[in-house]
Amino acid sequence: MSLVNYATREITCKIVYYGPGRSGKTTNLHYIYGQVPEDRKGKMVSLATQTDRTLFFDFLPLDLGQISGFTTKFQLYTVPGQVYYQTTRKLVLQGADGVVFVGDSQARQLQENIESMQDLHANLAEQGIDARQIPLVIQYNKQDLPSDLILGVPDLEDALNFWGAPHFAADALHGHGVFETLRGISELVLRKLSAGAGAR
Amino acid sequence: MTVAVVENWVEEPLRRFVADARVRLALLLHTSGQVLAQSGFTRSVDVMSACALAAAIHASAGELGKQLDGKPFDVLHHAGRERQIFLAPARTPRGLYIFLSVFDKESSLGLVQLYYGEFVGRLVEAAPPVEPPSVVLPENFEGELNRNLAAHFGRA
Repeated sequence: MSLVNYATREITCKIVYYGPGRSGKTTNLHYIYGQVPEDRKGKMVSLATQTDRTLFFDFLPLDLGQISGFTTKFQLYTVPGQVYYQTTRKLVLQGADGVVFVGDSQARQLQENIESMQDLHANLAEQGIDARQIPLVIQYNKQDLPSDLILGVPDLEDALNFWGAPHFAADALHGHGVFETLRGISELVLRKLSAGAGAR
Repeated sequence: MTVAVVENWVEEPLRRFVADARVRLALLLHTSGQVLAQSGFTRSVDVMSACALAAAIHASAGELGKQLDGKPFDVLHHAGRERQIFLAPARTPRGLYIFLSVFDKESSLGLVQLYYGEFVGRLVEAAPPVEPPSVVLPENFEGELNRNLAAHFGRA
């Protein structure tokens, strides 16, 4: 749920990066963290295991500056992708204004992508949210890998993008597509805010 | 003592709590991790991080309690060598919030608990009815959004 402070003219929105384990959710946040000027970001908080797998979440607060007279702040979260962190994913998803689904383009990860998308829909439904109504974009990450290892975007679209959500091909490690994905979800979230409840 | 609030009805109860209980930091937040009011922080981005972590502690402790004992752990207290943390829910007519305060030897757990109870009572009294969401941004916000994001990513 976006928070709007009319007195100080501030908007705060929560964006959750969702997807299977090792698909590149944390890599997206690391890249954003590395790009954004110091005065526009807070500390990146990572609750991770000793091997740097996300244990609870990563969190990055961003100040996007003035938009239509409102100081606009985004809180970016990732969820842990592994199947057994189901409870944690539900907690992090609470109150999300928008979701970025980070899919792994490797052919052998297709089933994990599908299960993670189903898991997202189930967790949204459990919170009374229609997955067709919440702002959602899909990022097909690791498109830089050799073509014999990955699926092309059309194949991934067929398997994952039931409702025609905006999608972006990406190589998050090197930053390709990260900016476009963030811009895509930001637009959807703020558009929903500008239109009131309803529009994707 | 500086108190900053997102919704005005929270300000006076929080200001009073901070003064009475003599705490260093205080945060009132939504269970989703978004701040409603704060006292004692200097940078808004630090507030956001503290809120994310406080919401995580509250949520995970709640789940842990449910799994171990069938009901959530509601109130948490951690006593460090110099500073202590008190984390508790605040139930109001506008919904459930999380309250976090950090205090040192200037205060005590008993004092914080005492004034926390009064603080929640004042929140309940002050809470206005929930209004339906209203339109915030004009339709042509995309230009400014794109310009600001591009500046962040060095693409301006």
